[in-house]
Amino acid sequence: MTAATLFQSALASLPEIVVITGACILLILGQFVRKGQEHILVWASIAIVLIAALATVMLANEVRPAYAGMFIADRFAVFFKFVFYLATVLTFLLSRKYADIEGIGTSEYYVLLLLALSGTMIMASATDLLSIYVGLELMVICTYVLTGFLRRERRSNEAALKYVILGAVSTGIFLYGVSLVYGLTGTTQLDGMAAAVTADPLDPGLLLAVVFIVAGLVFKVGAVPFHMWLPDVYEGAPTTITAFMSVGPKAAGFAVILRVFLNPLVAASDVWIIVAAIAVVTMALGSFVALVQDNFKRLLAYSSIAHAGFAIFGVAAGGADGIASVMLYLLIYAFMNLGIFGAVIMMRNGDFSGEVIEDYAGFAKAHPGLALLMLLYLFSLAGIPPTAGFFAKFYVLVALVEHGFVMLAIIAVLLSAIAAYFYIRIVMVIYMREPQRAFTPALTPLVGATLAVTAAGTIGIGLFPSWFLKLAQDSVLGG
Amino acid sequence: MGFPLLSLIIFTPVAGAAVLMFLRGEDAARWTALSFTVLDLALCIAMLVGFDTTTHAMQFTETRPWVPALGINYALGIDGISALFVFLTALLGSICVLASWVAIDRKVKEFMISLLSMQALMLGVFCALDLFLFYVFWEAMLIPMYLIIGVWGGEGRVYAAIKFFLYTLAGSLLFLIGVIVLYFYGGRTFDILALTEQDLPFRIQSWLFFAFLIAFAVKVPMVPVHTWLPDAHVQAPTAGSIILAGVLLKMGAYGFLRFSLPMLPEASIYYSTLMLALSGLAIVYGGLLALAQDDLKKLVAYSSISHMGFVTLGIFALNLRGLEGGILQMFNHGVTTGALFLFVGVIYERTHTRSIADYGGLMKVAPVYTTFLALFTLSSMALPGTNSFVGELLVLSGGFAANLVAGSAAVLGALLGAAYLLGMYGKVALGPASAGARLKIRDVNAREMTAILPLAVFVLWVGLYPKPFLDIIDASVKHLLTHVHSRGNGP
Repeated sequence: MTAATLFQSALASLPEIVVITGACILLILGQFVRKGQEHILVWASIAIVLIAALATVMLANEVRPAYAGMFIADRFAVFFKFVFYLATVLTFLLSRKYADIEGIGTSEYYVLLLLALSGTMIMASATDLLSIYVGLELMVICTYVLTGFLRRERRSNEAALKYVILGAVSTGIFLYGVSLVYGLTGTTQLDGMAAAVTADPLDPGLLLAVVFIVAGLVFKVGAVPFHMWLPDVYEGAPTTITAFMSVGPKAAGFAVILRVFLNPLVAASDVWIIVAAIAVVTMALGSFVALVQDNFKRLLAYSSIAHAGFAIFGVAAGGADGIASVMLYLLIYAFMNLGIFGAVIMMRNGDFSGEVIEDYAGFAKAHPGLALLMLLYLFSLAGIPPTAGFFAKFYVLVALVEHGFVMLAIIAVLLSAIAAYFYIRIVMVIYMREPQRAFTPALTPLVGATLAVTAAGTIGIGLFPSWFLKLAQDSVLGG
Repeated sequence: MGFPLLSLIIFTPVAGAAVLMFLRGEDAARWTALSFTVLDLALCIAMLVGFDTTTHAMQFTETRPWVPALGINYALGIDGISALFVFLTALLGSICVLASWVAIDRKVKEFMISLLSMQALMLGVFCALDLFLFYVFWEAMLIPMYLIIGVWGGEGRVYAAIKFFLYTLAGSLLFLIGVIVLYFYGGRTFDILALTEQDLPFRIQSWLFFAFLIAFAVKVPMVPVHTWLPDAHVQAPTAGSIILAGVLLKMGAYGFLRFSLPMLPEASIYYSTLMLALSGLAIVYGGLLALAQDDLKKLVAYSSISHMGFVTLGIFALNLRGLEGGILQMFNHGVTTGALFLFVGVIYERTHTRSIADYGGLMKVAPVYTTFLALFTLSSMALPGTNSFVGELLVLSGGFAANLVAGSAAVLGALLGAAYLLGMYGKVALGPASAGARLKIRDVNAREMTAILPLAVFVLWVGLYPKPFLDIIDASVKHLLTHVHSRGNGP
């Protein structure tokens, strides 16, 4: 590798380098931050992400393959990186007060989040099964640790342990798929795989390999049948981490799935049937089990499973529209889901956990403005216009019908009618029940800013979806 | 593009809601809501004055690109059919504010905001000329209506609100799939007028017809998907019931007129017998259920099912008299049933009971109330001289021409109507005055009169001189009919 290509490669991965270097510096400097000065950590972390975002924008105009075909900086990756930045910055904003209350506001917390972010970024840009693996592990190991960050709570420890064990199994499955691919084709590059396949008749072993790889990835997005870890981990993890996990790593998982599915190898086979089945079962399970949850975080975990199912419908639809629909869905989901998590995190104050749905009884009476925001996020999650959530679903349905999957579209809407029930049940508790006890939400300016940003996204994309739709469509074609 | 009158009509209530957000005080909220709804009504009257009744073309049109990538526009426009309902919506809007003046005594501001947003969305539905835009308005109505029933309703409000929400949502989502399928088969456009010019294969038309039917039948509501309606009506506050009966139920029928008939003419003709049968069933079944009710509000609610049966009967008779009668009946039902719910609300505020058995002899203590109640009861029965007579006569004559059995069912329904309405009026107003407490009932006050009078005027106006109303819809209905028959029967 000459100096010039090395420079080109380094340039293409500049955002990742910024984040990782920033995280390392923060790790060292964090030791010198005195108690009561933790806000410096928040602002430094946000600054790192913003610099990375700036670097990403500067690189956005060109497609830059790097590191001998292991990595690529294209618009597809840029789109996803912005979803990750959004999720991370909002998580930082939400973390400040919450971390104080829980006593987890050490520098490691921020450093690990930054490293997890860099993992997701590598996943979005990876074009080789091994670089996908590196990104995946970087991200997932950081989230293992973050899940167990509430050291004094058994729930948190248990969640982390469960996550590590199941995560390791899924990684094993993924690696097995990778080794099969390497053994059969002699390459781990996604393009190379495609070339190997078009040369020969389709090898059933390769198909098996793809199934293993997909199974590993499906675990990360929490789709059936690899969803079992998700409710427990979501419930046990610190709520800010849950918020992050439900958006960032999930989107990263989808980024990789889409990259693999852009691949002719998959397009040529009938894998979409498996994908469609996964979508239906995932959405059905998420929707039905969410109906009976009393814990808000568990409910959101099942809601997140259901939403993953809906996004997978977009993958099953396939084609440029299908991919764009998934991307748009994830962007919109980032706004509305971080919004509702912001509201839940805000409820954590003093000895009040705000995790039980009943805690929200009569919330509208005491805090009409905040209740209205929650109403907005919940209706958006349910997919009612004019919120962004509706447009997200609409575009997935358009992609499905366009490719002739009308039955799948009908199943998707019927399941989302069921899913709507548990969202409006929360609205009902907030608006139509008498308050049980008085409480003050921890509405710091930072949390307020998060809620404002997410609300603006939720309503703004709903009313003016055009620009965001074009962005998603362009990002597909630019790849 | 001329003056954006329709946008102004739609966004005046939105502006009112925005102003309300920054206001404090209950009376301020009431007066602000009233001013904005009255202003909106004035705009609608201006629209009617400027309306050209000689053409079926869309008027006051506005088009702006919204999501160009999918061919979605912000497109508004009205023809004779929409014009009537835009006006009805605005009229009932102000009346709803008056009806909630004292009935709503908590979270007044929030209630008025919900009411105003509801009005804006309903107006949007009637003005939309883009399917996507239409769907957004149509579906977004669920939010304020859910809150109106669920927050300000009666004892069983939560159950009723959720039932209303889920029924309507499930129906609408299938409609959404239909819309998307239509988009792909209709040349990738959401433009309603362009879609009516498409000739779809019959197989596709059939599928779409049933997808649409499910959505519209839930809204109308037609038997057997009507069960959300009595619950919603009984639990909703008076204003909510007026909106439900007056406008929301019309949207299903409007959907048939705007989408099913013109876009799926072959299927509409092919399945018209089925629709006539369902309408006849709704008329008789709704009437029988109404006959069995003791709760005033339930009685009016079930009578709505019966009356809306007349509307769908008229529409699917697919002849001029039937269609004109059906549309006029939609307007009449909005006026008359809106008024009846208002009357139930008035007496409920005073006595806190809706059981017919608790009343009796109201004539003596509240003569004005009972006089006007008589007028609206007679109108609901379709007595000559009242509005419903004109509409029902047209529907019956169109209905008999189309299908003898359905026409006979409608006559039976009309008889049942006379039975339960006269029975109700007799028990409530006539006879000896009942228990002492009831005697303290005050007669209607000035505010209530203000709400009732305009409705009474329309009962008599349409009843005695329906021509101006028929003129508004005439050109559009004739065009719709020619369109359906010329395309539906094929070459």
